[in-house]
Amino acid sequence: MRRFGELIGVAVAGLTARKVRTLLILLGPILGVAAIVAAIGINESSKGDLKAKLRELGTDLIVANAQDAIGGFGADPRIPEEAAARVARLPDVTSVTGTLQLSNIVTLPFAAAEDYYRAFPVPIIATHLNLPTTMDVPLVSGRFLNGFDEASASRVAVIGRDLANEYGYIANEARSIQLGGVNYGVVGVLDYVLLEPSMDSAVFITFANAVEDWDVDDPDPTRLYIRAPTNTRYVAEEIPTVVSLGGPDGANTKVPTDLLDAQSQVDENLNNLTKMMGGLALVVGGVGIANVMSISVIQRSSEIGIRRALGHSRGTIAFQFLIEALVIGVMGGILGAGVGAGVVWMVSEMRDYTMILSVSGLFRWASVSVGVAVVAGLYPSTKAARLEPLETLRLG
Amino acid sequence: MSSTPVSESLLSLEGVSRVYGEEVLVHALRDVWLDIRAGEFLSIVGPSGSGKSTMLGLLGVLDLPTSGSIRIQGTEVNTLPDAERSRLRGEAIGFVFQQFHLVPHLTALGNVETALLYRNLSRKERRRRSLEALEKVDLVHRADHRPIQMSGGEQQRTAIARAIVTEPLVVLADEPTGALDTQNASNVMEIFAGLRSPERAVCIVTHDLEVAAATGRRISMLDGEIVSDESQVAVS
Repeated sequence: MRRFGELIGVAVAGLTARKVRTLLILLGPILGVAAIVAAIGINESSKGDLKAKLRELGTDLIVANAQDAIGGFGADPRIPEEAAARVARLPDVTSVTGTLQLSNIVTLPFAAAEDYYRAFPVPIIATHLNLPTTMDVPLVSGRFLNGFDEASASRVAVIGRDLANEYGYIANEARSIQLGGVNYGVVGVLDYVLLEPSMDSAVFITFANAVEDWDVDDPDPTRLYIRAPTNTRYVAEEIPTVVSLGGPDGANTKVPTDLLDAQSQVDENLNNLTKMMGGLALVVGGVGIANVMSISVIQRSSEIGIRRALGHSRGTIAFQFLIEALVIGVMGGILGAGVGAGVVWMVSEMRDYTMILSVSGLFRWASVSVGVAVVAGLYPSTKAARLEPLETLRLG
Repeated sequence: MSSTPVSESLLSLEGVSRVYGEEVLVHALRDVWLDIRAGEFLSIVGPSGSGKSTMLGLLGVLDLPTSGSIRIQGTEVNTLPDAERSRLRGEAIGFVFQQFHLVPHLTALGNVETALLYRNLSRKERRRRSLEALEKVDLVHRADHRPIQMSGGEQQRTAIARAIVTEPLVVLADEPTGALDTQNASNVMEIFAGLRSPERAVCIVTHDLEVAAATGRRISMLDGEIVSDESQVAVS
């Protein structure tokens, strides 16, 4: 260990004695590592907002839409209650909510606004009572529909946040809205539903109300929202089978974050190209190290000769130069990673990106720099070890 | 200058020849037999091309003979692997060169310490021994100076300190006064004379007959052979 410490000391002294030359050698690995770290970091950071949004939304929500298993024209497919129950019993599913969108109902904040809102219909959604849980969305004010509302078919509604803003709804105020001329009391406002933005301007009522007030004959949902935190994609693939079980009922599924997920994926081709370019820069840096160190061996032949005369073996001499290369690789790697990270930070600040920098990536590319430098140092160190001391010392 | 009793063989060449070249052969040394004993202060003299530098390289195990043996205290070293041979060289032989060969980016102390590297010595111990060696050549006050900041005489004294810091059996010097003025040359020769001890020998390769006259044994070389080996009364 002491010997290794002494070798490092000799190598560092050799490098610091020739600062400009050392700086020139260092430029190769610094530029190579910095280029790779910066390019990958900027590429990742440009997708940082999407990734952050994905983390917020989660990627475990599945939407199942009813469809006729045989694709009959003009059908009004539903997902029967028992099919929804089967989906809810799947081991990976934690929550299922069925919804049914009603049509041809004019929704008004007050009677005088009829002309305007007839032209811009508001979606009315009959929903199961656990919608906020399944969608993982809180209420901005008030409460959601509950068991009493369902059992008694109370004329109460929850509205989406955009609709509340549009109607000038003040939190917790006693307010009613007209649904097709029937007054409903607003009991709560649902916060923004990022995965289903159409809900932000919708009115939610119970299935009991849908049957009582709007003559819905079949109170089964047309859509299921399903939370499956584990095996999400596998569950999404299984649901159509679970719903139909060979019968006429069917469903197709999608995971709404899939598109977002795809958008957030960093362009791998670009990344690979960047890595290749950076790798090339590192190789060029390595050639530079080999070149400059080889010249250095010639310049320092007298020093090598005297060290041999003092009892340093060929192996020690080779190791000394190899450690110089190692020190260059380590310094180049650290400085390159630092410069690259600095560039990513600067660009992220300028472009308003969410900075993403992989610490393991920094270590990985710094390690590549060390590897390249050591390989590049093999030739000059071997050359140094092979020098004949008698020739370098020029006796008599 | 008082004579020191001569005892055991420290360094010997036994029938050593050295031939350079492959197609055109140059016989730099022919069947040389030489024994250097503890306590000796000897010189190797001869004109240019006589083979004295080749002999110095072989005595210092910096080069290997084409035939014959080199022995350090009876151990044949030319057949040893490089690492072992280098270790023995570092322990047994101290070199002083005409051109000093100090490492330019190291201080005087750093240059002397270089000889003590890789010997499992603590930094403190290396420093202590190096300062002791510098003190012997009266250069402690220049310990922190680099070669470029020192005179030729001081650089050669630093080189001598480096040669003796390992307490070698033999000090081999190649034209040690060749690059010095008369005063500095005289000082350096005094130091060399003082290095001799009952356990150590000092061997100087030179073409300067005045320098050779200061030693107790003079070996003359010509065309790669020893032509005379005679004891003499040293003239200081």
